[in-house]
Amino acid sequence: MKVGLFIPCYINQLYPQVGIATLELLEKLGVDVIYPSNQTCCGQPLGNSGYEDDAKGACQVFVENFKEYDYIVGPSGSCIYHVKKHFDILEQTPDVIKVRNNAYELCEFITKVLGIKDVGAKFPHKVGLHKSCHGLRGLKLGSCSEKMEPHYSTEEDLLNNVEGVKLMPLNRKDECCGFGGTFSVFEEAISVKMGKDRIQDHLDNGVEVLTGADHSCLMHLEGLLNRNKQPIKVMHIAEILNSSI
Amino acid sequence: MGRQSILKSIKTNKPELVELQTIDANLFFEDIDLIETFKSNVKLVGGNIIELNQADLDVQIKELYPNVNKIVALDPSSKLGTISISKDTDPHSLETIDLAIIKGEFGVAENGSVWISEESFPIRVLPFITNDLVIVLSKKDLCENLHIAYQKIADRNRTFGLFLSGPSKTADIEQCLVIGAQGAMSLTIILV
Amino acid sequence: MSHSEKAAIFNKDEAKVNWHDKALWFVREKRDTSAHKVKGWEELRNLASGIKANVLSNLDNYLIEFEANAQKNGIKVHWASNAEEHNKIVHKILAKHKAKKVVKSKSMLTEECHLNPYLENEGIEVIDTDLGERIVQLAKEPPSHIVLPAIHKTKEEVDELFQEHLGTTPSNGNPEYLTNEARKHLRDKFLKADAAITGVNFAVAETGGFVVCTNEGNADMGSHLAKVHIACMGIEKIIPKEEHLGVFLRLLARSSTGQPITTYSSHFNKPAEGREMHIVIVDNGRTEQLSREEFRSSLSCIRCGACMNTCPIYRRSGGHSYDATIPGPIGSILSPGMDMKKHSSLPFASTLCGSCSNVCPVKINIHEQLYAWRQVIVKEQKQPIIKKSILKITGAVLARPTLYSFMGKSVRFMLKYAPKFMIYSKLNAWGKARDLPEVKNGNFDQWYKNREKNG
Repeated sequence: MKVGLFIPCYINQLYPQVGIATLELLEKLGVDVIYPSNQTCCGQPLGNSGYEDDAKGACQVFVENFKEYDYIVGPSGSCIYHVKKHFDILEQTPDVIKVRNNAYELCEFITKVLGIKDVGAKFPHKVGLHKSCHGLRGLKLGSCSEKMEPHYSTEEDLLNNVEGVKLMPLNRKDECCGFGGTFSVFEEAISVKMGKDRIQDHLDNGVEVLTGADHSCLMHLEGLLNRNKQPIKVMHIAEILNSSI
Repeated sequence: MGRQSILKSIKTNKPELVELQTIDANLFFEDIDLIETFKSNVKLVGGNIIELNQADLDVQIKELYPNVNKIVALDPSSKLGTISISKDTDPHSLETIDLAIIKGEFGVAENGSVWISEESFPIRVLPFITNDLVIVLSKKDLCENLHIAYQKIADRNRTFGLFLSGPSKTADIEQCLVIGAQGAMSLTIILV
Repeated sequence: MSHSEKAAIFNKDEAKVNWHDKALWFVREKRDTSAHKVKGWEELRNLASGIKANVLSNLDNYLIEFEANAQKNGIKVHWASNAEEHNKIVHKILAKHKAKKVVKSKSMLTEECHLNPYLENEGIEVIDTDLGERIVQLAKEPPSHIVLPAIHKTKEEVDELFQEHLGTTPSNGNPEYLTNEARKHLRDKFLKADAAITGVNFAVAETGGFVVCTNEGNADMGSHLAKVHIACMGIEKIIPKEEHLGVFLRLLARSSTGQPITTYSSHFNKPAEGREMHIVIVDNGRTEQLSREEFRSSLSCIRCGACMNTCPIYRRSGGHSYDATIPGPIGSILSPGMDMKKHSSLPFASTLCGSCSNVCPVKINIHEQLYAWRQVIVKEQKQPIIKKSILKITGAVLARPTLYSFMGKSVRFMLKYAPKFMIYSKLNAWGKARDLPEVKNGNFDQWYKNREKNG
């Protein structure tokens, strides 16, 4: 199995440690991972802003870079969701279809394709899990509170097997953090308020480390935490899963 | 304009026909204790519910409402009526009615509601305008949910009827639930 | 003003935002509790969605069937292409009966058509009898929520309103006292009304009858006292058969407020002897929405308000921020179709979290339609030049790997070395309340290249 590593553009530029953790984790789990160096971006920021057509070029670059791989894995629920859902604007060639069908968010790849729930990590901290919306409701990484369905959660399955992790319960289990891409800038007041409320929930419940599978949410929450000097550390789930293996 | 243009517009714009599925009511069937479920839901929606023998009906009502004068009793098993009404009664005159006693046709366990219709009360405004409302309902006349309820009323004479669930209420002032809005201030179901 | 500008103003009072948010989240939680008790809830939603899809694909025939059956039972049926026609028809009926005092129960359609000011202009008194609607009517405001019209008002504000208009004594917002005073006030109106106007929750093609659901009993108090009852409905309120009410009534109140059913679900089939019952069927842009493949299913809406209760943006910005008859998520996919220029900011007032679609009893894919409206609006409405240029340039950069690599390096350089005052200036909306990410030495590309080089 040949896996193409997809590193979202903002992780590449601003949070390389998340990309590094993802790559190292996959390799430790015995996966043959290649990072196609000409990748740019999945095009989501443009699509969400209404400029879907202008993103076609970026989407084509994505397909070009990843068409040769059996699986495409990336540490971002929203980006993978965008590939699976919104690459319908491209002509559906066999390459496009292959890429769309084989794109996986990291946690889902580990549990579903590799069939692994215990990655052998150690992280003795009180962890708050932020269930990012696109991964949760879009990729169905877990059950959501609105639907009458049995509980399941890909991220919880992985975190519950990390030695020492204490997953803290939250008051609102899957409310949006308020990032929403350009929403964070164009509806700044609400975006900030939503982020503050999420953070308060974690603070109220004794969380030490806030994590999730989407660093866009985490970037927004971390920005608020740092500005307000609040005592919660932010780490992408890949970093937790990659720790002390 | 109007009817022709609306229908024409729909005909032009509607999508290809999507077939209508049939409802499989078995999907929703639950083997529940009808009486207990009904009772707990009546209480949930703010109603009172008392189980007793038909013979004790009037005694119980007098106990619950000791000070009422103007009573319209439309259930044949109650003799408490002091005002009689007919189809010709002016609905506005019912403003002063303290208590109405109406026979319920059947109850729905899943939501504590009772179906009552113009068959049971000749003036439509009665169950709303009365200050307090008593519904007399037979224990045998309970069904599980609304799917079954609609089967039960499928062959009725269609004029006016309603599912009535609890007393009138509102939470429009800062989400504080207040029992007694524009309709009856209380609802008591007497299960015989 | 756009949604974001109004929302920013709303957010100046953080305590009020918290209060508003918590009040509506509580309603969402009540919905969850209620839905959990229903065996087959998700199946019920599937059924409801399927029934509505059938309705929209056969709408003209159902309306014709409805009209014939209603007329057979003595109900007079009228058709209005738009708001103006609707208002004229209603007025004509009232004028014929020399009706000067009208009581009206909740109807978002009449709100949409601006019926009240039209009738008032003709010298007719219209009293909104739903308590929440009466409150906003006295406050001269539009409702901020389609089910809880006065959710934005504190009880102290209601107290002051009632002191002024109803002559109540100050009570510190005592809800029982205020509700009881409103009852007396509205009773008087019901008893003196010449005509009653109601909405329609569901109209049944098979029987020609319709259902009106309330908790207060105000629709019935109005329609059974006055000699004339006028019911107003959008064309999409039709359902094929009476048995389908079983599906919709099981979903409606639970989705809306968490109650198993509203206090009164009144089934109107025939006018009472000696009285008149009218129904006005209204288009007002609905047939046009029907033509839009991507947005057509928004017409399935049964006006439960669940999407508003769950929307984290609605809860923190309030219904008035949307400046639309129907606010919130469903309003944001209905309104642009009616006036794209006025409502172009609404589909962007969302993070596309998808919670709305999951609570919708008829499974409208609201969050996907929000995304789709964005694509349409950007093409058809003039966009702010800065936003448009930045995004188009970004698209061009992302399509060219070498250029992207260069830009990536430049942005990182800027973020790392430019003075703080430049980055955290007024132009940088991100930086108003948040820190920017700390830029590390090197990006992932560089790390990977180094690793490959060093074996």
